Amino acid sequence: MMAQGPRLPRLSDRQIGILFVIPFLVTAVVFMGYPVVQAIRMAFYSVNPLRPGHDTFIGLDNFYTIFDDPLFWDSFHQATVWTLSSIFLQTVIGVALALLLHVPLRGISVFRGLLLFPYIVPTVVIALIWQWMFNPEIGVVNYSLKSIGLIEENIYWLSTPTMAMASTVMLNVWKYTPFVIICVLAKLQTIPLELYDAAKVDGAGAWRRFADITLPQLKEVLIVVVVFRTIWTFNKFEEIYLLTKGGPGTSTFNLAIYSFEQSIANLRMGVGAATAVVMMVFLLLGSILYLRVFRFAEEEEA
Amino acid sequence: MTDDKLHNDLTRRDLLTGTAVTAAGLAAAGSMLTRPSSARAQGKSGVVRVWGEPGPYAGVAVDGMNEWAQKNAPGLKFDIETIGWGSVYVKLMTDLAAGQPANLISVESPLAYQLMAEGLLEPVDDVIDRIGRDRMIEGTKWEYWGKWKGHQYVVPAHHQPHLLMVRMDIINELGLSNPDTWTWDDLLNAAKTIHEKKKMPGIALALGRNLCTAYHFAALLHSAGGRMFDVANKFEVVFDSPATVETLEFIDQLRPYMPKGATEYSFLQVVDSMVTGKAAMVFYWGRVYGRAAEEAPEIFKNIQSFNHARHPRTGNRYNWNDFQGWAIPKQNNPFINEVKEAVAYYQTKREWLIRYVHSLVPNVSPVYKDVASDPRLLEHPFFKTKKDTIMTYYVNSLKYASNTGNELLKGANPLAGIVHGRLILAQTVQKVILDNWTPAEAAKWGAQQLESVRKEHFRLVI
Repeated sequence: MMAQGPRLPRLSDRQIGILFVIPFLVTAVVFMGYPVVQAIRMAFYSVNPLRPGHDTFIGLDNFYTIFDDPLFWDSFHQATVWTLSSIFLQTVIGVALALLLHVPLRGISVFRGLLLFPYIVPTVVIALIWQWMFNPEIGVVNYSLKSIGLIEENIYWLSTPTMAMASTVMLNVWKYTPFVIICVLAKLQTIPLELYDAAKVDGAGAWRRFADITLPQLKEVLIVVVVFRTIWTFNKFEEIYLLTKGGPGTSTFNLAIYSFEQSIANLRMGVGAATAVVMMVFLLLGSILYLRVFRFAEEEEA
Repeated sequence: MTDDKLHNDLTRRDLLTGTAVTAAGLAAAGSMLTRPSSARAQGKSGVVRVWGEPGPYAGVAVDGMNEWAQKNAPGLKFDIETIGWGSVYVKLMTDLAAGQPANLISVESPLAYQLMAEGLLEPVDDVIDRIGRDRMIEGTKWEYWGKWKGHQYVVPAHHQPHLLMVRMDIINELGLSNPDTWTWDDLLNAAKTIHEKKKMPGIALALGRNLCTAYHFAALLHSAGGRMFDVANKFEVVFDSPATVETLEFIDQLRPYMPKGATEYSFLQVVDSMVTGKAAMVFYWGRVYGRAAEEAPEIFKNIQSFNHARHPRTGNRYNWNDFQGWAIPKQNNPFINEVKEAVAYYQTKREWLIRYVHSLVPNVSPVYKDVASDPRLLEHPFFKTKKDTIMTYYVNSLKYASNTGNELLKGANPLAGIVHGRLILAQTVQKVILDNWTPAEAAKWGAQQLESVRKEHFRLVI
């Protein structure tokens, strides 16, 4: 029998499992936990990014500053409008397109793949391209609309508050509807076809089959999709900043942009952090409430 | 469990354990490999990061610096990074906050004053001594670029005013008077006449939420006799004034004769307006000529620049002159000495300074007497057809020079950089044109914002 060399200490499976979880935990703490804790800490300090080491504890003053600032409330309102509009459109269009893509047609998988394109392309690229597309004089959007006679004069997509908000919503819907489509399509494929067959036998038309079979089956996935999309959309920074920089004026400011402006342009990182804390609390409470309402509704049905 | 299976399980466990330990070791080693640049710089090799605004001239300066490097520090390479005007403040503040600014930056004077007062820049008195303290062009002083509490912090690169740029073919066609004689009323009348008779925007200014709007507004404000702060009186906010109201009213009066999209206009859209023939007049710096010469020769042939229209009451015709210079961030900068040497090198070589000016005529104006009077300066082809315009940018505008960091050249104000970062002036304009506030309300709002800046950052000016 050959002599065996020295062996590494014998660890249990549990210990090895912990060992493999440690890198994730370290990453989560460093890149998620620590920034959150730091942001909460900074919310109670006066922090000038150009003067590190000169942070001053000021209690709730940053929160008083933002709650007294009309721009904070405007940004909050605009963020809400932007989020609700985007989510509504993403959900409706996403479900509609998913239903269309659920048809067993030859080559349908090609279309499914193409629909992912907006989701894959980096936001920076999309925003810069859309800026050019929306250019009132040389942009392809106005050119196309004029060519088909829908408009006679150029639309200034980014020059008025209403149009700028609509344009940023359009960009957001275009980019993230594929996420809704993927989730809904996956669920659609698990719905037993017998349910539809039975409904047809009972004389249910297309709309009744959708309302009484498809929609209830999609409810759970839509609950999750809406929650996640709402959180992500409310926090969105890059689409708006790259397309309009929060303008014209401050008409497309949301809280993420407000926080960024306070932190970097205004050199008030504490105020920016306080804004982030308010956003976090708002979204947390909103999500809990939303999930409770839907879980409560399910319990009632049960 | 058989002995073989137990043996395999033990071997797999050993493998897993070993892998985990190895991964941890690699991570630790990787962190050691990413040594800070300062460690590498001790060997004086590496890339010296230089920030410049869009345009070829910063690249020319960097070429000059690289010539020094080739002769004296072959391990170093100066590398230009171009930052758009709209991004400079944010990017600079972000990188300074992270402690990783570029090693040399080309900045406008209002921003330079803020950085000086914050203690973020390296003094360059030694560099100025080598360049020659008596070299400044008439009508300028070293301090216009950046002097604070007895020390110079900025080496001049160029000065660049924005002027009234006009399509003379249209002016002559409509029988309008010489733009050099205009008052604000004449300018308004010209914009209106052009709009009505030629069915085109008479004038294009930036009205977006950006620095270009601030610079256009500031020139008009100073001409009207207004200012943001009174430097001589503890930087008291004096923005809420009849002059500010008058300026906002004037912009509002010009608004109907501007392109419809002007509310989102920034630097490049104003240039586009002139080069594409959309508008007949703009306020702009000289780079329009370079673009027009390349893309629209007919437009180039017909444009001419003048000092701004005079304010009807004060007679002033201030421009916004960006006294642009080289500043050396001192945080985490391992190349301070090398940067000083390189800047001094190219600034004492007249050939490089002429090349610098020639790289974008007439956008970058010479700052040293010997360069301005060198016959080689006139060898640029634009001098054949645009000599008056060029001399207006280079020389004749200086007596009307002003900017937000040194209002009416009465003294440096570090608060101006913060004002620009917050886009207070642009927002004040937008309160009137977008939110339909009265000019008086907007002026009050702007004054409140400026007061807030003064209170928060008063330590910079005491």
